[in-house]
Amino acid sequence: MTGTPNNSGKTVLVCCGTGCLANNSMEIYKELKKRVEALGPGFAVRPVLKTTGCNGLCEKGPIVNILPDDIFYCRVRVSDVDEIFEKTILRGEVIERLLYLDTSTGRRVRSHKESEFYRRQLKIALRNIGQIDPASIDDYIERGGYNALKKALFEMSPELVISEIERSGLRGRGGAGFPTGYKWRQCKRVNSFPKYVVCNGDEGDPGAFMDRSIMEGDPHSVIEGMIIGAYAVGSKKGFIYIRDEYSLAVRNVSKAIEDAYSRGFLGRGIMGSGFNFDVEVVRGGGAFVCGESTALMASIEGRVGEPRVKYIRSTEKGLWGQPTVLNNVETWANVPVIIDRGADWFAAIGTDRSKGTKVFSLVGKVKNTGLIEVPMGITLREIIFDIGGGITGNGKFKAVQTGGPSGGCIPEALLDLPVDFDSLDRAGSMMGSGGMIVMDETTCMVEVARYYLKFLSEESCGKCTPCREGIRRMLEILEDICAGRGQEGDLELLLELSETVKEASLCGLGKTAPNPVLTTIKYFESEYLAHIRDKRCPAGVCRKLTSYRINTDLCRGCGLCAKKCPAGAISGKPGAPHIIDVSSCIVCGTCREVCRFNAVEVIGGRSE
Amino acid sequence: MRVIIDGKECEAGYGEYILDVARRNGIHIPTLCHSGALPGQGSCRLCIVEVAEAGKKKVVVSCLYPITGEIEVTTNSERIYRMRRNIVRLLAARAPSGEFIKKLREEYGIPEETRFKVDEKEKCILCGLCVRACEEIGLSAISTVNRGTTKKVAPPFEEPPEDCIGCASCAYVCPTGAIEVQEFEGKRVIWNRAFELLKCAGCGRYFITRQQYEYIKNKHGIDMKEPLCDRCRQKSTAEKLIHLL
Repeated sequence: MTGTPNNSGKTVLVCCGTGCLANNSMEIYKELKKRVEALGPGFAVRPVLKTTGCNGLCEKGPIVNILPDDIFYCRVRVSDVDEIFEKTILRGEVIERLLYLDTSTGRRVRSHKESEFYRRQLKIALRNIGQIDPASIDDYIERGGYNALKKALFEMSPELVISEIERSGLRGRGGAGFPTGYKWRQCKRVNSFPKYVVCNGDEGDPGAFMDRSIMEGDPHSVIEGMIIGAYAVGSKKGFIYIRDEYSLAVRNVSKAIEDAYSRGFLGRGIMGSGFNFDVEVVRGGGAFVCGESTALMASIEGRVGEPRVKYIRSTEKGLWGQPTVLNNVETWANVPVIIDRGADWFAAIGTDRSKGTKVFSLVGKVKNTGLIEVPMGITLREIIFDIGGGITGNGKFKAVQTGGPSGGCIPEALLDLPVDFDSLDRAGSMMGSGGMIVMDETTCMVEVARYYLKFLSEESCGKCTPCREGIRRMLEILEDICAGRGQEGDLELLLELSETVKEASLCGLGKTAPNPVLTTIKYFESEYLAHIRDKRCPAGVCRKLTSYRINTDLCRGCGLCAKKCPAGAISGKPGAPHIIDVSSCIVCGTCREVCRFNAVEVIGGRSE
Repeated sequence: MRVIIDGKECEAGYGEYILDVARRNGIHIPTLCHSGALPGQGSCRLCIVEVAEAGKKKVVVSCLYPITGEIEVTTNSERIYRMRRNIVRLLAARAPSGEFIKKLREEYGIPEETRFKVDEKEKCILCGLCVRACEEIGLSAISTVNRGTTKKVAPPFEEPPEDCIGCASCAYVCPTGAIEVQEFEGKRVIWNRAFELLKCAGCGRYFITRQQYEYIKNKHGIDMKEPLCDRCRQKSTAEKLIHLL
């Protein structure tokens, strides 16, 4: 492939999100910059170099994207810089081996926008990410940034802004899906000042990085959304709560706030209107529970991050007892687009009751992992098999866990479920903030439930009894089951405790915590029974309940398993079936992984 | 404003909590973390009730649910009883040795715990009343530390608390007697810190720590010439009044 030999007006985007940075992308940027700066005076139009936020393709990073030809290079190394500079930047040639590999066709595509992974997506919240330098307010403005704010301030009344958001059907992207416009209206109605707007950037789900990506890659979209929201409800002060582990997000958002002040988008008399608004960053200590709105507010106030009952809504009594609108990062990032392009445009995307798009972090046993933004109503099957490219290693799909640690596991039978707030709820899971973990046949569902309950037992704030003590005891039962100490009646007890934790807990953390247990019991009960009654882990994960045997009919005697076994437990002559010595086997599963003939079988735990 | 609690019609003020209305009408709802003197916390969840409003039923804590409309409350449905019993079981599995917990366990017919690991010596149920009381006094000498299963109540760095005045309000509000207070030889020891006790100028009984006496004096600007215990103060006030008459 050769492109047009044209070096004028080229823009080189180097992804400098957390994932790519960890893989040395800053070095790549610096090396490219050196070469660009060393260019002789013969170049009328110099290539422009930019660092961008996270493209959400961390597994394929570092990423270098060259515009306007949109040549998309993945897994770039510093040693590739010379070639990229000489061939692509100067001569417009494409380096085939660095191109994005489309797993659905097995072919490399010039722009990843041609891939199945990208084509199915619709970028609204992520509209600018990877395309702009997050540290440059001009980049944001160039792509239409702060237009919506201007429109809101000068062409719309606060009332009209709220009704526009209401008509758009936007629902909170943080998990519960509360209608955003309705929340704003509740807050506007309360005649008590000051009022506050808060951005929840405490994303704590393991494996989720939607909000981080937005805050790092397009901080102005969040700030613009908040100014519009503040104008609508009559607030003069906002807080962006970011967990301190997100150091790059803290840095980029802080820089964006500074720049917005210097351009008159924040502060007194915004854009020459009579509207004043200040915003500041608050860094969180990294407790999962501080993603809960009332715990987050307690944390901003400087108190212990514990939730309070919400019989009186935060829109009435929130931060320091004053009316407060709290929305998630992704929700705020959607606001400017809705104001700019209109509620009708937004409402035409998605399903009847879930409008617009949702960002998911698609991870686990799928071929294409990363951040995706898809219209609501897309099926799980489309996400996992079309966008995700199916299960890695041609394994078999078993379940998908949605909604973060307190979401549920959805089985194969429900793969055609449309992804929207209500359908996921009905399946016993939830939208959550958008984590999506795909699991294959080698995953033990009891162990999955145990894993999430362990996380939740540690992250429960410990204020209320059902959550603190209930989760702890449910975990105790699950640990017993995984270790072969499961008893008759354990499932019934788990279900009964689940009811109490779900119904009687104080906040959303406890109220959703039993979901992993409830859904795995509902959809994978036989696996629990195999653990409890037969003392066997069908997936071969729980060590106490697993041993391996080589099927002599399938084994070709290649010896790979014996070579890889760290315990030296496998023996056999070349060409003849091998044998595992169960007494020295440590059940690590390496033999099963490396066997190319599926000859290693999982059987129940060894009797002691 | 009219509400129905367990079939009984009750009168309630706007914003009044269900628990207060129920108690006024002789309807018993069990509580642990509730104290009339402190703002509600809703942490023990023992006082859960079912509220039916506009055809929908929900589980709420009665100590903090404000009545703002015509609702029907059930304090002891089968479902509520089952969950409350579970909560008592969970609390008893955590802290079996407090008297109050023992009583509750008897009341709900909960057998000796055999399924879960139990720490027989533990008394604290982490209701948070002690922390709230200390905060209310204006000291916040103790706080909950950590979270999840490792949560506990402790002074900063688990050292004898600097801000503590030894008033023992924390121990006084504790429903399970989990906070140890020792008094001997004119000293009170609490949170591993020893406080000097002052004698009542009237009856000669030890009744207040020096720090507590100073704190009250400074905070309320009351200059008691000499410390008097509650009884002797009442007596002296009464005597003064008699003189006036």
